[in-house]
Amino acid sequence: MIRDVALGQYMPGKGIVHKADPRLKILILIAFIVLIFCSFNFIALGVVSAAVAVVIALSDIPVKYYFKSLKVIIFIVIITSIINMFYGTGEPIFRFWILKITMSGIIRAIFVTVRIILLILISSCLTFTTSPTDLTDAIERLMKPLKIFRVKVHEIAMMMTIALRFVPTLLEETDKIMSAQKARGADMESGGLIKKVKAMTPILIPLFVSAFRRAYDLAMAMECRCYQGGDGRTRMKSLHLQKHDVYCIIFAAVVLAGVVVCDVFIAPAI
Amino acid sequence: MSFISASGVKYAYEDSDKLALKGITLKVNKGEFVALLGHNGCGKSTMAKTLNALLTPSEGVIYVDGMDTSDEEVTYEIRRNVGLVLQNPDNQLVASIIEEDVAFGPENLGVEPAEIRRRVDNALKAVDMYEYRTHAPHKLSGGQKQRVAIAGILAMEPSCIVFDEPTAMLDPNGREEVMRTIKTLKEKGITIVLITHYMEEAVLADRVIVMDEGEILIQGEPEKVFSQVNLLKKHALDVPQATELAYKLIGAGLRFSKMPLNTDECVSLLEEALG
Repeated sequence: MIRDVALGQYMPGKGIVHKADPRLKILILIAFIVLIFCSFNFIALGVVSAAVAVVIALSDIPVKYYFKSLKVIIFIVIITSIINMFYGTGEPIFRFWILKITMSGIIRAIFVTVRIILLILISSCLTFTTSPTDLTDAIERLMKPLKIFRVKVHEIAMMMTIALRFVPTLLEETDKIMSAQKARGADMESGGLIKKVKAMTPILIPLFVSAFRRAYDLAMAMECRCYQGGDGRTRMKSLHLQKHDVYCIIFAAVVLAGVVVCDVFIAPAI
Repeated sequence: MSFISASGVKYAYEDSDKLALKGITLKVNKGEFVALLGHNGCGKSTMAKTLNALLTPSEGVIYVDGMDTSDEEVTYEIRRNVGLVLQNPDNQLVASIIEEDVAFGPENLGVEPAEIRRRVDNALKAVDMYEYRTHAPHKLSGGQKQRVAIAGILAMEPSCIVFDEPTAMLDPNGREEVMRTIKTLKEKGITIVLITHYMEEAVLADRVIVMDEGEILIQGEPEKVFSQVNLLKKHALDVPQATELAYKLIGAGLRFSKMPLNTDECVSLLEEALG
């Protein structure tokens, strides 16, 4: 039940997007997010959209999974685009009470909608094609320079790894506790929102107690395996840039150049 | 000198004034398979934790391969050398991919990447989980998870592994998988200390140590220990089913040349006794 959330689920594959260096993928994602919000006219937005479409086509993931992840945010998209429609300036096309819709409002709404959709698509692409371990690993390596500011990079990455490792375990446990409480006559389906939230207490308390017990056990198991923090630690897998990573960099550079050129030479639409 | 030698080990937990260990003296030789028996709260898990310096004795000393466990300079060398496998397989796995979890130990030790790869592959092959190396742990059965946990310890290349009730949370199939793994490790020359309350597992050991109330009640070869049915029963401990049957039959007047420890032995001894 809780398990089929499409957003942020890794699917194994063999395409170029899967194979690319996870550090590079994160950097390119950040670049794309910046580009999505820096495309000020339709042609620039078209260039970014085309680039996202290319990435999705190369990603080796069935398109229906992307639609699934869009379904989750459909409400946010609709609401923000409606609100944006009323924020335009200039000659109103349609007037209702104190609200007025203008041409610039409609353009603004289109931009917001396209931007949110692109954002979700490109970030889903990252999580679909990169395993959680690779992601945390890449984040740890990318954040390494922050060590000089005394940021505990290794500890943060370790916490993320463990959290990700225990998500399925704790979900399974929640299911078990729910069944156990239902078997004891707990009613979790009927009543209003407040009653339903209150009904969660007998599930959350055992879950917390068990999570703490697990944490204690895990800490001991980690000590048994000589864990002493990040200092002096090596990694089994080392990351090296390869030939296909160079193609990715070239692709990202072309898109970046395209958007910049469009933004500079074509008048902004918003 | 024996691989592990503990003398007069006493230990009390901080929040209790009762001693969990009341002066334990024991030796484990290199390559030996020792089973540590006892019911809940007898101090056997506490003993296990003192063997790899997770706990240091309040009184007495423990030497592991000549190193004092209370010497903080050698703590990690001892932990590398004496691996500890715990009861709950779920709570021992750190990473979301099996091979990365197995690599956790050697990574902590600062081993070279290529060497880690070799160790991880060897450890996974030794527990027969190599083909699962890229799977996620939560999709495995209990027995498989416990074997991965054993591989995680093996990758540190210890010379001794302490198992703290490794089969307590497993179904019969998983229990058998883990026991088979333990037997192959013993054949490879790894010293094994198995803490259990399953008598059927204890009879596989070279030597059995029975603990009660933080003390050693009796120790010796399985035949010798389990023939003391009266003493074990008095301390609310079980004996293997085959031994129990023979004991009752002896009470009924039948004669056995020795005490059987498993079903096959029991059958042949019964045939002999019934002529």
